[in-house]
Amino acid sequence: MDLLSIARGPALKAALAIFFFGITWRLVTIFLLRHNWQLSFAREGRAGAWSGALKSVFTFRRPRLSRARRSSMEATADAAVAVGSRSWPHPPFVRRTLYGETIGYLYHIGLALVVIFGAPHILVLKSFFGVGWPALPTPIITIISVLTLALLFAALMRRLGSPVLRHLSNFDDYFSWSIVTLVFATGLMAHGHLGGPYQDVLAWHILSFDLLLAWFPFGKLMHAFFLTPSRAIAGYLLKRRGAPV
Amino acid sequence: MTPDNRVSSAAAIAASDIRQPHGHYDEEGGASAQARVNAAVRSFVLDVGAVSALRLDSCVHCGMCADACPFYVATDDPRYTPIHKVEPLKQTYKREAGPFAPFFKLLGLKRKVTIEELHEWEELLFDSCTLCGRCSLICPMGIDITALIEDARHGMSEAGLVPKALYEKAYRQHRSGNVFGLSNEEITRRLAGIGQEHGIDIPIDRAGAEIMVCTTVEEMDAYPATVAAMVRVLEHVGANYTFCSQAVDASNYGYVGGSLAWEREGIVRIVEAAKRYGVRTVVMPEDAFAYVALRWEGTELYGKALPFEVKHISEFMQEELAAGRLRLKKGNGADGGAVVLHESSQLLRRGGVVGAPLDLLEAMGVAFKRPADHGAFAWCCGGGGGVLENERAQPLRYRVFEARMREIEATQADEIVTCCSVCRRTFDDGVDRFGWDKRIVGLTEMVAAHLAG
Amino acid sequence: MTRSESVQTVNDALDRQGISRRTFLKSCMLAASAMALSPLAGSAMAKQLGKMKRPSVIYLSFQECTGCLESLTRSFSPTLEHLIFNVISLDYDDTLMAAAGHQAEAAKEQAMRDNYGKYVLVVDGAIPLAFGGACHTAAGKSAIQILKEAAKGARAIVAVGTCATFGGLPHANPNPTGAIGVSDLIKDKPVINVSGCPPIPVVMAGTIMHFFAFDKVPELDELHRPKMFYGNTIHDRCYRRPFYDAGKFAESFDDEGARNGWCLYKLGCKGPTTYNSCATLKWNQGVSFPIESGHPCLGCSQPNFWDGGSFYAALPTPKWGKAGEGNPSKAGEIAGAAAGIGAGVGLAAAGLSRYRQYRRAIKAAAAAENGDDSDGQSKEE
Repeated sequence: MDLLSIARGPALKAALAIFFFGITWRLVTIFLLRHNWQLSFAREGRAGAWSGALKSVFTFRRPRLSRARRSSMEATADAAVAVGSRSWPHPPFVRRTLYGETIGYLYHIGLALVVIFGAPHILVLKSFFGVGWPALPTPIITIISVLTLALLFAALMRRLGSPVLRHLSNFDDYFSWSIVTLVFATGLMAHGHLGGPYQDVLAWHILSFDLLLAWFPFGKLMHAFFLTPSRAIAGYLLKRRGAPV
Repeated sequence: MTPDNRVSSAAAIAASDIRQPHGHYDEEGGASAQARVNAAVRSFVLDVGAVSALRLDSCVHCGMCADACPFYVATDDPRYTPIHKVEPLKQTYKREAGPFAPFFKLLGLKRKVTIEELHEWEELLFDSCTLCGRCSLICPMGIDITALIEDARHGMSEAGLVPKALYEKAYRQHRSGNVFGLSNEEITRRLAGIGQEHGIDIPIDRAGAEIMVCTTVEEMDAYPATVAAMVRVLEHVGANYTFCSQAVDASNYGYVGGSLAWEREGIVRIVEAAKRYGVRTVVMPEDAFAYVALRWEGTELYGKALPFEVKHISEFMQEELAAGRLRLKKGNGADGGAVVLHESSQLLRRGGVVGAPLDLLEAMGVAFKRPADHGAFAWCCGGGGGVLENERAQPLRYRVFEARMREIEATQADEIVTCCSVCRRTFDDGVDRFGWDKRIVGLTEMVAAHLAG
Repeated sequence: MTRSESVQTVNDALDRQGISRRTFLKSCMLAASAMALSPLAGSAMAKQLGKMKRPSVIYLSFQECTGCLESLTRSFSPTLEHLIFNVISLDYDDTLMAAAGHQAEAAKEQAMRDNYGKYVLVVDGAIPLAFGGACHTAAGKSAIQILKEAAKGARAIVAVGTCATFGGLPHANPNPTGAIGVSDLIKDKPVINVSGCPPIPVVMAGTIMHFFAFDKVPELDELHRPKMFYGNTIHDRCYRRPFYDAGKFAESFDDEGARNGWCLYKLGCKGPTTYNSCATLKWNQGVSFPIESGHPCLGCSQPNFWDGGSFYAALPTPKWGKAGEGNPSKAGEIAGAAAGIGAGVGLAAAGLSRYRQYRRAIKAAAAAENGDDSDGQSKEE
C-alpha cells in the first residue's frame, strides 16, 4: 500500500479509534472521581476498599453544601454565562494579557477557518457527514494559512521568551504545538504543491493529522473538552458564594 | 531528633541574610523525609475529586494567572505563578488518581514528589499566596486556583511542612481554642474588661439570644475599639445577641494553615456553641478568613447543614442598614481627611461580601476614593492567608505592600478604611515598617462613630 | 519477415519505404522535443538510428485488452508511431503478425536465438500467478514460463500499459487470477515501465526510440517510468490549473462550472497524484485529453488506480470499506466501539482511583482510631 492510502485508510481509522477511546476514557474517569464534598466517607469505607470504591462509583450522594446566595437555577444560569464571559479577560487584566490573548485567538480562528472553509477539508467532512458547504476562495485560504503559521510561530516565540511560560512549560506544551504546526505546515505545503511529490506531501499531512488525533486525548489539546465544564463549574461555585466570576 | 536536611549549623545560619535566606524551611515533628512525602501524597490523593481533577487537568499553561497575582507582579519572579504553586498536587494527581495514573506510574512519566520539592514548594504555597482569589478570576479555563492552593496546603500540613509561626498559632488554637492559648475564663474576663474600658455592657452567655456574635483574641488585643464598636452597633439596632464563652474566638488558623482537621475543629466549636444557645444567626468579626471558613466551608466540614445563618459584621450592618434598623448620621471620615477604601480580597472574592463597605460608607456620607483597581479586581494587601504570621515571608510581603502604598498614594488619600482585621494588621505593620503617614481605620469603628441617635 | 531482411540498417528500411531522410530527421526532432531534449539531440538520434541495424523486438501480450497496441497502431498518417515499425524489426507480435500457430512460435524462437542478449522485449498485459499460471497459456506454456524464457536473452524489457507495469485491471480487487506486473516477476533485467491505460502513443514510441538511439535506459522515476514522460503530474501541466488555484470548481457534471471549463477536482480528478504526459502531449495527435473533454482524470498510469476508491470521489476523501459501505457508517462504528471501550476503561480508572482513596482513608481512619495525635504531624511509616 502506498503512503497516501495508508494515511487515509488504516492509519486514519486507528487514529479515530484512539481519539474516541482516549477522550471517553479521560472524561469518564474525571467525572466519576469522588466529589470533594464527600469528606466523611472514611467511616463508610470500613466495608473494604474495593467494595466501597465500586459502590461509591455507582451511587450518587447529594452533596451537602453551604447555603448559597443564589438559587440553584440562578447559579446554573451563572454557570452558563461564565462559559462565555471567561472568553476574554476582565478589563483591568487586559493590559497585561492582551498580546498573548490576541495571538492565541487569532491562530485559533485561522486554524478554524482553514479547517472549516478549506475546500479539501469540506470534501472530507462531506464524505463523513453527507453535507458540504461553500468554501472560501483558495487565495484567501492561502493568506489566512500563511498568517496563521506565522502566528503559531509567534506563539512559540512567546512561550520560549516569557520567563513565566518557560517556567511552566513541559513536554506536552511543546509537543502539542509541534503536532499542530506540523499538520498545518504540511497542509500548507500540500496546498501550495511544495516540498516534493504531491501525494507524499498530502500523505504526510494526513499522517500528521492522524498523529494529532491519536495524541489529542492525552495532552493539553483536551482543553477543547474541558473548557466548558470547567468554566461552568467555576461560574456555579463562585456565583453561589456571591463572588465575582 | 533532627529532621533530615535541616540547616542546623550556626555558621550557615550566620551566613544567611534576610534578603537571601539560606534554604530555610520549617518542619514540624520528627517524621522522616519519606514519611512526610507519603503523608503529603496521601493528602493530595484524598483531596482530589472530580472538581479538583477537572481543574488540574484543564490547565493549558497560558501563564495568565501570573499577571493577576500580586506576588508575581511585584517581583516578576516566575516561581510565583499561581498554578505553578500547586505543581506537586498536579503531579501527584496525574500520577496517582488521574485517568492515566497507572501508565504514568509504570512508565515513570510523572515523578513521585520528593522531599526537596515539598521543601521548595512550602515557600511558594505559604509565603507567596494570601488566597486572594485574583488568579481564580483571570483563568480563562475557569480553574479555581485558590481552591487548589487550599488543597495543596492540606498536603503540606499533613507532611508537617508549614511556616513555624503560622503552625504555632494553629496549634495553639487547636489546643486551647484561640491563638493566645487563653482559657475561656480569661477570654471572658478580657472581654468584660473591654466593655468596662469603653463604657458598655458586653453580654456573654445570655440565654434566649437570637444572634451569637464572635470576635478574635487578636482583634480584642489589637483593636478593642472594634469589639466595642460591634457591641454598640448591635445595641443600636436592638439585636438580641450574645457572646458565647466557648466560642468567643472565631478565627480559623486551621483554614489558613492548611490543616483540615483543625479547620473542622474550629468550625465545630462555633457550631456547637451556636446550637447550644439556639441562635439563628452568627455574626462574624472583621477577620475575613474566619468568615469564609465558617460561611463557605462550614457545612462541608461539619457534615450537616448549619442551623443558623452566618454573616460578616459588615454584611450584617449592610442588611440592618437596608432594613432601616441601622440609622447613620452623615459625617466625613473620622478626622475629615480624604478616605480611601481598601477592599478585602478574601471577603470579596472568596466570601462574596461585595457591596457592604460601599453602602455603609455612602450612608455615612463619607466621600471615599477607591484605588485604580477596585471591587472585584482590588489588589491584595499581602498579609492574609498566613503570610503576615510568616516571618520568612516578610521581605516578599513588603514588596507587595510597596505596590499597595504606591497605589494608595496615587489616590492622595490620608486615611485607609478597611473592614477586615487581617488587612488592618497588615497595613499597621506596613505603616510601622515604612514610616508611612497614613491612618488606618476599621469600618465597624467608623460606623459606630456615625450612629445616629 | 525473413532473416535477411532483419539485418538491414534502418536507413535501408526507410529507403525501401520511400521515406526521405528529411522526414526521418523531422520525426526524430519531434521525438526529441517530446522528450525535452535539444534539437542537437534530435539530429544525433537520426544519425545514430539511421546507420544501425534494425534491432530485434519481441512483443509479448498476456492478460491485456490489446488497447496498448491499438493505441500505438491507431494512426492514419505517417506519424512517429508508424515510423517505429521501420526502425525496429518486430520479430514477434501475435496480434499484428500474419503467421499463427507453430510457425509463429518458431519465428519467435529463431529471433530469440539469433539475437540472444540483444533483443528488446516489449510486454503488455499482466501475468497471472493463480493455479500455477494456468489463467493465461499460449502454445501450451503459461505466461510465467513464456516471460521467463523470453527475458533470459533480452537486453531490456519495456512493460507497456498499466497491466504490464503494475498489474492493472486484472490486479484489481479481488484479483482472482493473481495478476502481477512484469517487474514483480523479472528482477534480473532492466525493466522500463511505460504505464497508462493505455499509454500515450508517442510516449511508447519515444521511449523505445530513446533506448535505441542513445543505447541506454532513460532516467527512470521510483516506479521505473521514464522521467521525461512521467516526471510531472497531470495537475502540474493541466490547462485548468489556474481555476484550481483560484478555487473555481465544477460541483457536478454539466453544471455551470463544468460548462465554464473549471477545475474538476471536486468531481474526483486524480490529476494531482497522476504522473503522465496527457496534459501536454494529449491524445489523438494532440486533439484533447480527458480533462479537456470534461471528465476528471482517472489516474490510469498510477498503480492500483482501480482500487483507489471511486473515480468520482475527491482526492482527499478517505476511502474505507468496499463500494456501498460508506465512510459515515464505518466511522460511526469505529467511534462507537472506541467510545464504548473508553468508557469502560474510564470506569475502571475511576474505580481504581477511588479504591486508592478509600484505602488511604481507611488507613487514616484506623490510625485516628488508634489514638494518633491529630496535630498535623505525620506518623512514621
